[in-house]
Amino acid sequence: MTSRREFLRRAGSGAAAILLAAQADAQQRRGVTHDSTIVKDTANLFAMDQDAARPVRLPPKPGASPSMTVTERDELERHIHCQCGCTLDVFTCRTTDFSCQVSPSMHRDVVALVNGGYTAQEIIDAFVGVYGERARMAPKKSGFTLLAWVTPGVMVVVAGTLLSMWLKRREQPQVRRSVAHASGPRAVPGVDATPEELARLEAAVKGEDDA
Amino acid sequence: MILIGELSLWVALLMAAWSTTVSYAGGAMRRSDLTASGVRGLYATFAMVVLAAVGLWTALLSRDFSLEYVASHISATMPSVYIFTAFWSGQAGSLLFWALILSMYGTIAIATSRKRNAELVPWATGTISAILLFFIATNCFKANPFTRLDFLPPDGRGMNPQLQNFGMAVHPPNLYLGYVATAIPFAFAIAALFTRRLDAEWLGSVRRWALLSWFFLTIGIVLGMWWAYVELGWSGYWAWDPVENSSFLPWLTTTAFLHSIMIQEKRGMLRKWNVVLVVMSFLLSIFGTFITRSGVIESVHSFAQSPVGNWFATFFFLSTGITVYLVGTRLKDLEAKAELESMVSREAAFLYNNLLLIGIAFAVFWGTIFPIISEWANGTKITVGPPFFNAVNVPLGLLLLGLTGVGPLIAWRKASVSNLKRQFATPAIVGLIVAVVLFALGMHSLAPLMTYGLCGFVAATIGQEFTKGVRARRAIHHESVITGFFHLVARNRRRYGGYIVHAGIVMLFAAFAGMAFRTQHDVTLATGQSFEARDPYGHQWKFVSQGVSTSSPRDRLVEAVGLETFRDGKRLGFITSEKRQYLDTQGNPLFGKITEVGIRSTAKLDTYVVLAGVRNTDVAELTISFNPLVVWVWIGGFLMMIGGLVVMWPQAEKRRPQAGYAAVMPTQAERAELAGAV
Repeated sequence: MTSRREFLRRAGSGAAAILLAAQADAQQRRGVTHDSTIVKDTANLFAMDQDAARPVRLPPKPGASPSMTVTERDELERHIHCQCGCTLDVFTCRTTDFSCQVSPSMHRDVVALVNGGYTAQEIIDAFVGVYGERARMAPKKSGFTLLAWVTPGVMVVVAGTLLSMWLKRREQPQVRRSVAHASGPRAVPGVDATPEELARLEAAVKGEDDA
Repeated sequence: MILIGELSLWVALLMAAWSTTVSYAGGAMRRSDLTASGVRGLYATFAMVVLAAVGLWTALLSRDFSLEYVASHISATMPSVYIFTAFWSGQAGSLLFWALILSMYGTIAIATSRKRNAELVPWATGTISAILLFFIATNCFKANPFTRLDFLPPDGRGMNPQLQNFGMAVHPPNLYLGYVATAIPFAFAIAALFTRRLDAEWLGSVRRWALLSWFFLTIGIVLGMWWAYVELGWSGYWAWDPVENSSFLPWLTTTAFLHSIMIQEKRGMLRKWNVVLVVMSFLLSIFGTFITRSGVIESVHSFAQSPVGNWFATFFFLSTGITVYLVGTRLKDLEAKAELESMVSREAAFLYNNLLLIGIAFAVFWGTIFPIISEWANGTKITVGPPFFNAVNVPLGLLLLGLTGVGPLIAWRKASVSNLKRQFATPAIVGLIVAVVLFALGMHSLAPLMTYGLCGFVAATIGQEFTKGVRARRAIHHESVITGFFHLVARNRRRYGGYIVHAGIVMLFAAFAGMAFRTQHDVTLATGQSFEARDPYGHQWKFVSQGVSTSSPRDRLVEAVGLETFRDGKRLGFITSEKRQYLDTQGNPLFGKITEVGIRSTAKLDTYVVLAGVRNTDVAELTISFNPLVVWVWIGGFLMMIGGLVVMWPQAEKRRPQAGYAAVMPTQAERAELAGAV
């Protein structure tokens, strides 16, 4: 049977051998140079697809004039998803990342459609027609994606109702808790405070921990 | 040292495997020798991971570009501080950082609990080691920071300049410190489930860790918001990006736990629920890490498509399965020890608070994963962005804000009508006055009005509590207001620390509502040209371009524009914004151009200037925004941090043993005096 000392000696020799071998290998590799810098992208920000923009064009409506103000147009752009690979809307992306060429292109399309007399909904529909549902910043409130909108509310309402029912069922009003009140402060004549309030205040004053 | 680090990582893997195996075996066979060996294995794992971390830091600081990780994340010209922080800026390094923190936390948690929770220790040690084993194995086999290149590059790729910012240097480690801290309560919960020792004892071991997690997550999230605001130039601080959501989720569940744990401590209720919250917080931390690293959901923060995604998914589902099984088979042991006495009580208020926190967590989780569900269910790729999250979460957030004021004031067990009247009359009036005044001043949007009304209500409840407490101390101890205030907080840190946190929350909500009034202008200015605009408060602003200047410091080319700024005709000075192109040592551009935002910040308003581009050498394309109340996000965040510290801080003085409850009770005369102060 191998003794502990023997085991440690062997383990130490093995580790030293591995270290020396790896050191030699590292030195050998360092001797090799390469004329390029690292190309592998493990950067922390997303990879941008600068070619993602596609034309969203519609002929101007007859006698068209701009269908909305600049402020309304900016607001509309907050509901259209930039397709460069970010998670931002067109307005935020084009005013944030100025190396993005997709959001300015989408902005130009929005401007053209606004000047062509199209409404906000028509413009969003036009973008969805070209880019698909991903052009929206939020799922539409119909069909399958209605589920996205209603589920959280339904869950909270259902959970709240169940919680209330559960609480109601477990509610056991007790006339004068003997333990709590026996050891708690007595009511002070002429003072408008419940014993529980007095106890809490006194605990605070005395420095007892109570959250 | 680098080689020692590399070797240590493999030894750590073996140590973690050993610790996991013998700890669980020690727990199952009730053999203390195996348990002791498992604990020592955990300590050894910590030592080995420290050596591995030192190895990686050595490689980074010595700029050893033969390592792929070093070459991919730093360059020769980067400042040393960011070379140091590059440790956690990439996939492999951040996983090693996780392991480093977890092994440190685990060592501290087990060392401090060995006597107090002897029965839980083998299972807790085994669980911590199992988690460590997963992270170290991922490091060794899928994302090894010590992987070497086949060639020696002359320089590294460097770090994205937007990440070379103080906020980004300290934001990730804070988040990691928060994420990882959820593993300790999880380990103790698993231990309590295994051993069926589900009384309040295990909670004692985990409350501080949950607080620590909450504390670091809060700092991490606020710092991330600050970085996004000052660095990205979109004049916002929260975009509901999946990775932002991932940090928010465990924060919500941990916050819920810190409230519901009080009910278990006080009343022996919510035993099942607390286990579920602890487990959920940890699993959501793993979910967040999975989201960041798997590439399954589009995010500006993603580490792109990476091979560790499948590992994280497997670990996530395995942990969930085991936990669900354990909780399911121990439901009887988790029965409540007390009943609710009234729906109008603090217990009920805290339960609704939990419902809302978890409701928000569910809404955020649901919105984050819905693109996957949609693609899986009907093949349609969709985006779920801020319009969804704001619409769903604003009502829930407002209800939660209201409960923030109600919870701390309502009585335990059962609130009487007189209690309700006395506690809530003044705050309700204050809230109403705030809303009416703002309406009279022209604020007619419902959501901001409700927010500010509720902020007034909650702020008044907090002020009322502090006032009462200080008055009582003054009446009994005859202290000054300031001394009374500090003694009040020091003697009851949990409660008053909590109030400080709530004050921070009020500030955050007020600041969030302020952003509803943000205005933004796209402007083009040549030298000497000016632009005028009115801010949301009605002040007239004028910006005069001083022209575009260029410079080329050591590692970058800079274009800057200075705007001389006037408000209502009064000169306020200059606001400067820059565009920077960083260069490598050969003078080649690194990454894209980035923007340095010019911000003039006051308590009421931030004036936010972004240089979008330059035409014909002197024409600046600018975006100028007026962002109301933003500074209160940072102040509120800071206050939450202070409150968290107050709650966590160990009591400086031990209370003297009393001869029974009567000994600490004030005399009849003192009580009358005290009630007078109330």
